[in-house]
Amino acid sequence: MDLVRDVLDKKVSDRNGRDMGRADSIVLEIREGAPPRVAGIEIGPAVLGHRVRPVVGRWIAGLEHALGIDQGRPLRIAFGEILDVGDHVKVDRAFGETAAATVEQGLRRWVSSIPGAS
Amino acid sequence: MSAIVDLILGVVTSIGGFVEVGSISTAAQAGSEFGFQLLWAIAAAGLMLAMLVEMSGRLAAVSRRSLAASVRERFGIHFQAVPLTAELLIDLLLLAAEIGGAAIAIKLLTGIGFQWWILPIGLCIWLVLWTCGFAAIEHGIGLFGLVTLSFVLAAWRLHPSPLDLGAGFVPSLPGHDAVRYAFLAVSILGATVSPYLLNFYSSGAVEEEMSEKELWVNRTTAYLGTAFGSVVSMGVLVTSAMVLQPRQIVVDSYEQAALMFVPAFGRWAITLFALALGIGCFGAAVELTINAGYVAAQVFGWSWGANKPRRDAARFTTAFTLVLLMSLAIAVIGFDPLRLTMISVALTVVVMPLLVLPFLVLMNDPKYVKDHTSGAIGNGFLAVLTIVGALLAIAVIPLEIMGG
Repeated sequence: MDLVRDVLDKKVSDRNGRDMGRADSIVLEIREGAPPRVAGIEIGPAVLGHRVRPVVGRWIAGLEHALGIDQGRPLRIAFGEILDVGDHVKVDRAFGETAAATVEQGLRRWVSSIPGAS
Repeated sequence: MSAIVDLILGVVTSIGGFVEVGSISTAAQAGSEFGFQLLWAIAAAGLMLAMLVEMSGRLAAVSRRSLAASVRERFGIHFQAVPLTAELLIDLLLLAAEIGGAAIAIKLLTGIGFQWWILPIGLCIWLVLWTCGFAAIEHGIGLFGLVTLSFVLAAWRLHPSPLDLGAGFVPSLPGHDAVRYAFLAVSILGATVSPYLLNFYSSGAVEEEMSEKELWVNRTTAYLGTAFGSVVSMGVLVTSAMVLQPRQIVVDSYEQAALMFVPAFGRWAITLFALALGIGCFGAAVELTINAGYVAAQVFGWSWGANKPRRDAARFTTAFTLVLLMSLAIAVIGFDPLRLTMISVALTVVVMPLLVLPFLVLMNDPKYVKDHTSGAIGNGFLAVLTIVGALLAIAVIPLEIMGG
């Protein structure tokens, strides 16, 4: 598997096929005397921003903290929880139970309050 | 049978949705200042748009991905950040200009200042997006937009000389003001090949679940729809050239552009022009707004879709709402919509290589389009026109600004 080609920036869906976001970064574990090991993937705008420019990542992390939505973000998914890598990266998680859903769920409450939302 | 209906509906929609604030203002200015001499620019830009639209539909049908999603996956966020930011900024300006154009159309009908109409128009755009699915948005805009055929009817009634029209399709040097001529050629390109159209089209193909079997429908719709749509733009230019140029009226406001309909339609002139301008701009504003939601959701991997209940795509809904609010703020500040349009379309050409060249790479990657890769002639034409257009834009925009 080519991590950059096959995993990084691919859409991530949960075990029920719901969109969770994209693989915004790949976490490698550096081990002494052994090759690096893939620890997992991360989802979240702060790590994505960090890839563009570290300062952008810090701004986004600061904004998430200020809004009180930083708990559990970015979401890290262990490599062992990846079920399949194809068109999408499918993981053994439920979107609604993760911090990746914090913003979607918060906005859903607001959107649902408008007539015609469902 | 269903494919034939899709094809007819697609072509009609393309015709009705072709003309908006950018194409009307650039074609009207080109006609009033250079007669038929810039018809070739509309033809070249139309061919380029047809090729790009066909490619974005092909990409979506084969890979089941939109353009924005494919660029993120193929090139990564580090590359995409720059063109994405540029496109969103231009779309923001263009959306403000479309809203301004629609507001001026209502001003022409009512006599009440255009600033008063900006917020109600914003509300109408949002309500359309809140209540309609993709097909209703796309086809509704296209069917109402058929009123823009009045530009073709106006040109027809003025009986232009076929020989003079034919000469306009051959690129030639102007007898005066070469910088302005080049600036208008560049602006016509930018107004016609709006980047938002490509992602909007590919997103629509994903929403409507276009398959590889329908590639011929996609190809026919793209080329026929764009060809007929270009004829509407040419109608603007021809009418402007025949009515405004002999009277030495230079289009520096939409109110002046409306005068081009007077010889053809008499007392209905202002009403028809206002309807064509207003519906064209409103339709483009709806598409620009929802496309902002598409782009954000596809780049970040959120749930999206005009066919989904809005509560099931809350971030997508919020994204297009925020972009609409930002554009309304720009429009309310009171920038002249015509100038805003000209700035947006000229800047579009400057950033076009950043948007088109990666697209060409995608369309030659079998991982995305299997064996439906693009041909060498098409690739070469698009690459050359994009790069030459951008270089020309970089050269003439400062000169145009310095020249006032």
